[in-house]
Amino acid sequence: MDTYEWLLTLHITAAFFYFGAAVAASILYVLAITAEKPSDAAAYLRLIRRVLPLMFVGVAGTLIFGIWLWHEAGYGIGAGWIWGALVLWVLAAVLGQRGGEHQERARKMAEEHAAAGDLPNAELRAILRDPVGTAMSYGAGAALLAILILMIWKPGQ
Amino acid sequence: MIAAIRPTSWDFPLFLHLFGVMTLFGAVLTALVLAWAGRQHAAFTALLVALPAWVLSLAGGAWIESKEHLSNSNATWLSIGHGALEPGLIVLLAAVGVSFWWRRSGTPRLGQITVGLCSVYLLLLALAWLAMSGKWS
Repeated sequence: MDTYEWLLTLHITAAFFYFGAAVAASILYVLAITAEKPSDAAAYLRLIRRVLPLMFVGVAGTLIFGIWLWHEAGYGIGAGWIWGALVLWVLAAVLGQRGGEHQERARKMAEEHAAAGDLPNAELRAILRDPVGTAMSYGAGAALLAILILMIWKPGQ
Repeated sequence: MIAAIRPTSWDFPLFLHLFGVMTLFGAVLTALVLAWAGRQHAAFTALLVALPAWVLSLAGGAWIESKEHLSNSNATWLSIGHGALEPGLIVLLAAVGVSFWWRRSGTPRLGQITVGLCSVYLLLLALAWLAMSGKWS
């Protein structure tokens, strides 16, 4: 394998980690929203933390190996699809972090309610289904999907 | 940066294949995490998400393979990809079956087997994406 193929392999591996961890976080969040007992919701929200290291490796790896590939493959500085992907990468990271903060607040509340009788609770349900917090997480997912589309179609290339 | 030069008509099948297989990876990863945590109902649900993702990755893969006229190719990277996706389905279905049985019986041993099967399937997927992205041989 030459340098380009190595970089492409590492870039795609990082993309798998990022996308796969995002899918895992989404499924776990949906499980938390649909859980009846606060203890179950808290458990699913805690499990999101288990996939975060993989996500962080993916976030860093896609950027580092992506920029390296940009240089290695000889794409020009004016490659709009790469700039677009970089903007979406930042957007996904910012929205993902904000969504994660919202999930942490929900986890803490779920643990409090779990310790206080573990009964279904309207306040917890409201924070788990909060449209702004949820939109942050799904917005991050949508940005990630848009990056995949840009990487494949390469508009303007 | 998935491929430097490629006809635009290959883009949509490639998107379907990659979207499917990345979702498949995420769903099996979720099942592994849930099975490890002893959550049998949720692990089974996550594995059910993996099945349509498997169909999407297979359909997208077959479509792009026909567009690239690779149906009769013996390339190593393609054989490894096929191996992970097609015979690999046995491992995935075994994980679904064992997790269903675990959900019904609650036997902890079945949870450990689910963890093992999910780990094997994730390794198969990783081997496939490494071979296919590096175009081994």
